[in-house]
Amino acid sequence: MAALEVRGLRKQFGGVVALNGIDLDIDTDRVVGIVGPNGSGKTTLFNVVTGVHPATGGAVFWHGQDITNIGAHRIARKRLVRTFQQAMSFPGLTVDENVRIAWEQGRKGDGRWASPGMILEFVGLAPLSKAIAGSLPFGSLRRLGLAVALGVSPELLLLDEPGAGLNDSEAQAFAAVIAQLPPQGIGVCLIDHDMDMMADLCDRLIVLDFGTKIAEGPPGEVLADPKVREVYLGPDKKAAAS
Amino acid sequence: MPVTDNSAGKTGAAPEGARARDRLALLTADNAAVPLPAGVQAITAILLAVLLIALPWLGLGYRFLSIAITTLYTAIGLYGLGLQFGQAGIMSVGHAALMGVGAYASAILSVQLGLGLWASLPFAMALSAIVGGVIGLPTLRVGGQHYIIITFCFCALFVIVLTNGGTFTGSATGLDVGSVTPLPGINFDKLSNNYYLVLAALFLAVVATYLIGNSRYGRTLRAIRENEQLARSVGINVDLHKLGVLMVSGLFAGLAGVLQLYYLRHISPTLFGAFPSLYLALMVMLGGARYLYGPLIGAVVVNFLPEVLNLDPVDSRIAYGVCLLLVILLLPGGVGAGIKNIYCAITGGFETQKQRGSNGRA
Repeated sequence: MAALEVRGLRKQFGGVVALNGIDLDIDTDRVVGIVGPNGSGKTTLFNVVTGVHPATGGAVFWHGQDITNIGAHRIARKRLVRTFQQAMSFPGLTVDENVRIAWEQGRKGDGRWASPGMILEFVGLAPLSKAIAGSLPFGSLRRLGLAVALGVSPELLLLDEPGAGLNDSEAQAFAAVIAQLPPQGIGVCLIDHDMDMMADLCDRLIVLDFGTKIAEGPPGEVLADPKVREVYLGPDKKAAAS
Repeated sequence: MPVTDNSAGKTGAAPEGARARDRLALLTADNAAVPLPAGVQAITAILLAVLLIALPWLGLGYRFLSIAITTLYTAIGLYGLGLQFGQAGIMSVGHAALMGVGAYASAILSVQLGLGLWASLPFAMALSAIVGGVIGLPTLRVGGQHYIIITFCFCALFVIVLTNGGTFTGSATGLDVGSVTPLPGINFDKLSNNYYLVLAALFLAVVATYLIGNSRYGRTLRAIRENEQLARSVGINVDLHKLGVLMVSGLFAGLAGVLQLYYLRHISPTLFGAFPSLYLALMVMLGGARYLYGPLIGAVVVNFLPEVLNLDPVDSRIAYGVCLLLVILLLPGGVGAGIKNIYCAITGGFETQKQRGSNGRA
């Protein structure tokens, strides 16, 4: 049984069907990537799974327990933690305090992190611990977002476009940090558009289009799938691309 | 992995004009998030305590001491407002009504059941806390601006209820109470003893504020103020804590209300209406809600300004308006922020907080 099981998940915003019966099984010992064109429902999937938006139908199970619509903070306390696409922080507080808040909520690191400083060390923000979060450059802000999420001692981390807005070297450094998580018992499920990075980083890829899962499997296989190529490159350009 | 801080070293090479602008930005910034060294905090606390304890002995006269008492019990209520606004980011413009709940609860218990200050205090504080929580319920559904309107409405409604409450609330004339039940050897009819009673309560309020601000609870509140969505995603029950802080704020308001009642010995609805409520909001913004002594500074400025400048009530309202505009434009963190910044500028304390644009406003 997978740690996170999503069964027939539906989400409708008025007449728009953002998620149309999604089934997923995600384990906590690897990196799983979710890809898909804009508007395919990737972020909505995260939002519904983590309780930010209520589900219209279907169910989400975490270790066999139904967590559908139980509220965002309760889901986070079950150590299913997410980051946000917009690089969120507590902008008026220091970097240290940002992480400390999460660390205290996550039962003080649950043995994994003895102090918030260790998390900052891990993501490479230790020299900036006294800085005000709102004054950080964007790359550091991304790392702070990860540090805050790690502070909650997640078992599974849902990262929503952690590389967005980073330059190549920053994104690579970030990917290196993410790759260190599964061996430490922190499963990762991430959304990103950088296909090269995703192919390197992920053990498994899931492709969404119009709120449905159209492919799933090892990256090499999935990216070679004609259905996936069609979604990404359009039917007419298929020949040209291959 | 390497840290790429693009802002590093920018200030060093800046031309003279830009540097002056930076310096001004540092003086006007809100640096509440950056703590002062523990030694400085301790010395400030001791100096302030000595000054406040010595105040009745300085021979400043009866009128001065009366205003001082008013200032101190107002400050107690402001510490509650500072907690909900400064820490949790929930502003209220009906806070005087919440003090009024405490004052009237205590007065009614005195008139109906003959309970004195000490016996009625727990009930008055509890009732203020409950009412604070009940007014807060709609905030869970609507945003901050709507809550401000709700508090204003509560304030207006409270005055109407009191004015039409017959003999139970004393209608427009209000209620009278006896003096504070004396403790062994301390007669609170003496003005300086009443001052010390209020000062002791203020001391508790400041200590409570300090402890909350430096606790996990305080950080939880600040997280809610800074980013509700992120707060939820790290496991904070935002709704519960919003109600919670409004109830804690109500406790402070109840205490302040009871002290006000037993200092004035007579209360009437107008003391807890719209104008006193707006003054409380003014004081907390003026002083700086996020600074430990901000509420006290705000109370001192607003209560003593008409006295120092010899203003009549109408002129003082204009003066308050000007003060508020100046603070909003020049010193968004309040006078407390200004004092801290000046101290840091003199001692070079900014070296540790050199982040440019570290404007802490939410």
